[in-house]
Amino acid sequence: MKILVAVKQTAALEEDFEIRDDGLDVDEDFMMYDLNEWDDFSLEEAMKIKESSDTEVEVVVVSVGPDRVDESLRKCLAKGADRAVRVWDGAAEGSDAIVVGRILTEVIKKEAPDMVFAGVQSSDQAYASTGISVASYLNWPHAAVVADLQYKPGDNKAVIRRELEGGMLQEVEINCPAVLTIQLGINKPRYASLRGIKQAATKPIEEVSLADIGLSANDVGAAQSMSRVRRMYIPEKGRATMIEGTISEQAAKIIQIINEFKGA
Amino acid sequence: MTDPTQITRILFQDFDPKAIYLFYAFGYLAIAIFIHGCYVQVRKYRRGKPDESWNQIFKRFWDMVKTMASHRTLVRRDKKAGRAHGLIFFGFVLLFIGTATITLEYDILEPLFGVRFWYGNFYLLFSLVLDVAGFGVIAGLLYMMYRRKWMHLPKLDYKRVDRQVGDPDYDRSGYRREDWAFLWSFILIGVTGFILEATRLVWLSETPSVWDHRFWSPVGAILAHLMAGLGMTAEGAGAFRPYLWWFHGLLSLTFIACIPYTKIKHIFTAAASLMFKSPLVGRRLPIIPVEQANAGYKTITDLTWKNLLHLDACTKCGRCQEACPANAVGAPLSPRDVILSLREFANKTLNAKELPAEAELDIHGKSPGQVMQETLWSCRTCLACVEICPVAVEHVPIIVQMRRNLVEAGEMEPILEKTLQTIHKTGNSFGESKRKRAAWAKDLPFEIKDARAEPVDILWFVGDYASFDPRNQKVTRSFAKLLNKAGINFGLLFEAEMNAGNDIRRVGEEGLYEHLATSNIGTLQSCDFKSIVTTDPHSFNTIRNEYPDFGGEFEINHYTTLVKQLIESGQITLKKKLDYRVTFHDPCHLGRYNKGYDAPRDVIKLLGCELVEMGRNRDNSFCCGAGGGRIWIPDPVGIEKPSANRMREAGQIEGLDVFIVSCPKDLTMFEDALKTSGFEGQFVVRELIELIDECIEYDVVDITGVAEVISTSE
Repeated sequence: MKILVAVKQTAALEEDFEIRDDGLDVDEDFMMYDLNEWDDFSLEEAMKIKESSDTEVEVVVVSVGPDRVDESLRKCLAKGADRAVRVWDGAAEGSDAIVVGRILTEVIKKEAPDMVFAGVQSSDQAYASTGISVASYLNWPHAAVVADLQYKPGDNKAVIRRELEGGMLQEVEINCPAVLTIQLGINKPRYASLRGIKQAATKPIEEVSLADIGLSANDVGAAQSMSRVRRMYIPEKGRATMIEGTISEQAAKIIQIINEFKGA
Repeated sequence: MTDPTQITRILFQDFDPKAIYLFYAFGYLAIAIFIHGCYVQVRKYRRGKPDESWNQIFKRFWDMVKTMASHRTLVRRDKKAGRAHGLIFFGFVLLFIGTATITLEYDILEPLFGVRFWYGNFYLLFSLVLDVAGFGVIAGLLYMMYRRKWMHLPKLDYKRVDRQVGDPDYDRSGYRREDWAFLWSFILIGVTGFILEATRLVWLSETPSVWDHRFWSPVGAILAHLMAGLGMTAEGAGAFRPYLWWFHGLLSLTFIACIPYTKIKHIFTAAASLMFKSPLVGRRLPIIPVEQANAGYKTITDLTWKNLLHLDACTKCGRCQEACPANAVGAPLSPRDVILSLREFANKTLNAKELPAEAELDIHGKSPGQVMQETLWSCRTCLACVEICPVAVEHVPIIVQMRRNLVEAGEMEPILEKTLQTIHKTGNSFGESKRKRAAWAKDLPFEIKDARAEPVDILWFVGDYASFDPRNQKVTRSFAKLLNKAGINFGLLFEAEMNAGNDIRRVGEEGLYEHLATSNIGTLQSCDFKSIVTTDPHSFNTIRNEYPDFGGEFEINHYTTLVKQLIESGQITLKKKLDYRVTFHDPCHLGRYNKGYDAPRDVIKLLGCELVEMGRNRDNSFCCGAGGGRIWIPDPVGIEKPSANRMREAGQIEGLDVFIVSCPKDLTMFEDALKTSGFEGQFVVRELIELIDECIEYDVVDITGVAEVISTSE
């Protein structure tokens, strides 16, 4: 029995930051990287299944990204994942969520897991489509925004509850293997102590190249993506003014502002 | 004139030889039971992990002798109990030496070599000394009985704060019964000893070698006169004596046999505990050996033999509980209960011949003998318990070791978990960008050197609260101006400074601590400076006492020491005197941790303030509640915060103007507490630096302009 958890290292911005010179992203100097918040939950869900199972369950975490991602994978290993796989090639820079899904799919085909978990979305880009694109490439059943999961290793069906708008839950039975994107709050992720992370440094992280999974530079990157970033910018802030004075003075001022907006 | 060799006590006088054999048989039996008990205890200690405290064994022994002889630790904060214990202790020691002297002559020197010395003047002096000793023991024990029965001291009530009424180990009445059994049996031994002495005098009142010298045993003589006056005849005394003799003798032998099994064992365990105490207890927490897979204490066998010995040394005196800030506000923690729980657990699991299964050794939980998480997280690691313990029990390292295990398992408040993650990510507990660490210095009219780029005399390690907390930033700027005014060549680490790790270590996140400490040590070692100064007592403690374990040996001073030198040497001139009535709160990490009691007080006096001490000051200072990582965990609602408790204490000082602190966390804690204390408007909370600032006249010239001129001309 094997569960594959797709994870991402996401960036948080410092309070003051600058946009890169090419205008496509924030300058990397101002980013603080950490494991995507949703992935803490999806890994925990896999760990829970592993720990409550009588049969052997292997939890494999997979990420697409450069060297720095190892730090986040090590955190996953510290939390108890059995193996970590990282796929990268410089050509993959600029890939959109769908291409990342394609890369993950090739890894999944090689690993042949019984279940695939991913976070609902990433905290930095928030496309919420990586997991779903994996399901599409694999042609597996999928469920998004999973808030509760009842599944035991070996089951050919899982019962899940999906979170809908307006505080509704939808209970769904899904055939396995399946791809589930896990919502925050489904469990309480464990703490990875620094000692644990250090000790996990001895567990190897398997580095996989595109060639290893049967892809090439021509399959990835911005050029192969269905969407490309054109510009990243900080929108101009709206203005608010407190209008002082008597009621009639305030009314007069409002009329003046309206007229200015109308271009009068 | 009587032959001096006749002036003695004939042992077993008129006893049937069979009775003497019987007595010796009982004696050997008692010794055998005693030795077996000792063996079981030692076997228990040996089941603990190793500890390095065997170094400097003679010095340790000598220090222990001095502590015990002076009773220094026993008279602290409870003079009467300490002195009463002194009477019992010294009386017991003399009685023991006396009995040993008799054994030496009667059982060894006389039968083997025919040597006698226990007669004549020596015997008479011996009688006098032992009578006084016996009297002292009884007097001491009587006071202890009075204290237990009528003084109703909360610290002698063993009811637990961390258990509910009805829990099996809630009221611990067994301990009370044991206390009374001990007092009664001991006092009975003393009293029957005196009556026996008196009975012998009445019995031998016709023997001049005995009767004529009776007042060398004054207590016995007075009792003898009393008994004779009440009509006891020599024959009557002779008939009564054997019964009393056997009662006294068997009771004494029982007492000896019981030593390793009852609280009496503290005779040995307390002495050993004092001998093996760590000089840096709590100030330098134990490192986790590289080869050790798990962090902290999960099972009873994770404790070191020294920890196990400390558990047995506790005499339940309750001084730790009385000093504990968490206990004072009703948190479910009594340092004594932690020690007693673990002791009960150790006795239950480690006294048997075979060690039970691993699962039965888990010390975390709610069953009898286990310690609850809530209890462990209530600790502020202020060291008040360790400081006052008369027998050198080291509570705080055990609590932190147990927390390490909780942290490893993720058993902590979610908000604390978040903070630890934040510190890992950003290097500070505020979650601010590293770049903003020295943002407080932006508006200063001069530039502060970057100690990483150029050599400085003094490297200022600022610390998180002083760097990022807006209220504390004001103080930080004042201190920078002060250093600048004094013409000191100082610098900062800017964004390379990380949280020093003191509180993270006390939370129990040892891995994160190691990460922060080694990172700071690396940065510091790459800089050229003579010494470090900090306004933060927490950083001060860990850099001073703990960094050396990770290869970082630095000279560091708390700012109070530096400022005192600067004022006394004239580098800083005080332009005016302050006529405030003030009180001073000793920060745990400056005072108790590092004995920095005097420098801040000296500075306060140099400023001209009238210093009025609070009841709890210096080594008994009352923690603000922020220590041990508790600043990151909100206190439960509905119970008083330690800081509020402290404000009530300060509020009792008539006409108080300023409550002075010298720690950034104290400033935050107490300014908050003052708002809800009902004393707002009556006095204020100030950092000592702010008062110093009031007394220094800074040049009104626009220094910014000058600085710009200098920087452009360079």
